[in-house]
Amino acid sequence: MSWLHTWTGLVPGWLLFIIFLFGTAAFFQSEINGWMKPELYSASVTRGVLDEAYAYLNEKAPHAARWSISLPSGRRPEPFTVSWRPQEGSSSQAGEAVLNEQSGREIAVRDTQGGYFLYRFHYDLHYLPQRWTRLAVSIAALAALVGLLSGIVTHKKIFADFFLMRFGKGQRSWLDAHNVTAVLALPFHLMIIYTGLVTLLFTMMPWAISAHYPSVAAFYEEMHSAGPTQEPAGEHAPLLPLADLTDRASRVWRGAEPDYIAIDNPGDAAAMVTIWPRNDAITGSPGKIYLSGVSGRLLHAAPQRGAATATEDVMIAIHAGRFSGPALRWLYFLSGVGGTMMIASGLVLWTVKRRARLLDPARPYFGFRLIERLNIGVIAGAPAGIAVYFLANRLLPLDMAHRADWEINSLFIAWGGLFVWTLARPAKRAWIEALAACALLYALVPIVSAATTTRGLVRSLIAEDWVFAGFDLVMLATAAACALAAWKVASHTPKAAPRRASREPTEATA
Amino acid sequence: MTDTAIFCLSLAGFAALLLAMPRHQDDWFGRKLTATTGRALRLSGLAALALAFFVAGTGFGWGYGAVAWFGWLTMAAVLVVTAHTHRERIMRKIRR
Repeated sequence: MSWLHTWTGLVPGWLLFIIFLFGTAAFFQSEINGWMKPELYSASVTRGVLDEAYAYLNEKAPHAARWSISLPSGRRPEPFTVSWRPQEGSSSQAGEAVLNEQSGREIAVRDTQGGYFLYRFHYDLHYLPQRWTRLAVSIAALAALVGLLSGIVTHKKIFADFFLMRFGKGQRSWLDAHNVTAVLALPFHLMIIYTGLVTLLFTMMPWAISAHYPSVAAFYEEMHSAGPTQEPAGEHAPLLPLADLTDRASRVWRGAEPDYIAIDNPGDAAAMVTIWPRNDAITGSPGKIYLSGVSGRLLHAAPQRGAATATEDVMIAIHAGRFSGPALRWLYFLSGVGGTMMIASGLVLWTVKRRARLLDPARPYFGFRLIERLNIGVIAGAPAGIAVYFLANRLLPLDMAHRADWEINSLFIAWGGLFVWTLARPAKRAWIEALAACALLYALVPIVSAATTTRGLVRSLIAEDWVFAGFDLVMLATAAACALAAWKVASHTPKAAPRRASREPTEATA
Repeated sequence: MTDTAIFCLSLAGFAALLLAMPRHQDDWFGRKLTATTGRALRLSGLAALALAFFVAGTGFGWGYGAVAWFGWLTMAAVLVVTAHTHRERIMRKIRR
């Protein structure tokens, strides 16, 4: 069983490391969004906020075919966005604006993908066709599940060694670290890999759809019923206050909060308001509902979910952890850090174990060099890329064309650059320099943020702005961890393998 | 509040489970405890973890509570392992 664990872990290992690293960051997706859009502040959906949205849209696009309003959640700085789409054949343009939730005035928010990119990258990757990357991610996740289960079997003394972590013993310590990070967060690892496979269910097993539907699109059309459509009546009628409509929706949902509102034919007698709920319950969210904008009558509610869909919703909810409060979100994050470390320690262990057995340690064979180089370039390179992504968010000019794309490009340029640099250096120096670069880059993030925005660490601590303070503190903690790792590698003196040490003198005398 | 209770119970539970193992009794006490004491420690450790689950379920609802329980179990175990790994430094402080 040991060979199975070794190869199911090693072959997709670097991809799994990336998935875990970015996925772990994605637990704080909304918080990262907030930090990367420092123009935004936390706001709740109040009657006033909805009135402002209405006033703005009514002035800007009174004859639009559709208005849309994306609501803030109150817990995090989220954009309060309104958009409008003109009627077909009209000369006016579609548009979008981010509003200040207090003044109702338009504010300029920098162009960024924010935490959403980190989230998307953890299953879609980037620059490559989604179809193939999702398949690669699915296969890697399947291998991870096999690796995890075979790892439990290989480990054998899972309970006897439960509390065991021995430092300073070379290979033994790496094995202990791999075991401890795997076993202590084992429920999390099993859950996250299994439910991760569920989220990509139809990538791996598309046949349930292809056996019953003419196309994938037809399946999704039936899954997410389009709901009723309303033709404009051509008669003017005032829209009910939006707050009354969202109150009504919350009553139908038994308390769930509204997340997104679309208003078809605003100002017309046939105005229809569609309201989506916030997806933050462990059991998944109720369906969207359709109300008449003039009378408030319920036109249509999405049908009750079937048992299979409900099960899928719960699994996806547990995977993403969107329902969790601050404490549980941190537990998700820390367990994710454990998983990332489990994969990294496993990859490093492969080389540690084989280095002792190298015939000529100065010139290892190709496979060994390949894996060692990939380890350095991915394990120390990817985190550096993320730090540069955050730095680019603060440093790129605000009016740059394709700014959001360039933030993402910066991530990969930095990562690629560091990777190439490490290839040119001896392995141990490469580890030290790449980890030191990570430490430096992460330490720079709060400094650059304080210099380029008005929301630096000191100010956010004073203002008790926990999203910003927390983000900056996590950056500093990451910098400290990378610096510690670099220092540990630098001060590590490998114990000469006892066998070789004793053999060399005999060879010399012989 | 519920979070703190789950965490403290899990911490106590894992500490008891650690001390219920003869090899770790050597580490901490310099001798092995009797089989009866060991069994009592193991049972009380498991009982503390079960109680933590009950607290999580009643405090948060069983769905949310179960997820939170697993999370806190991991953190408690990490803390116990960390303390155990650095036991010599801790013991030196205690003796002084």
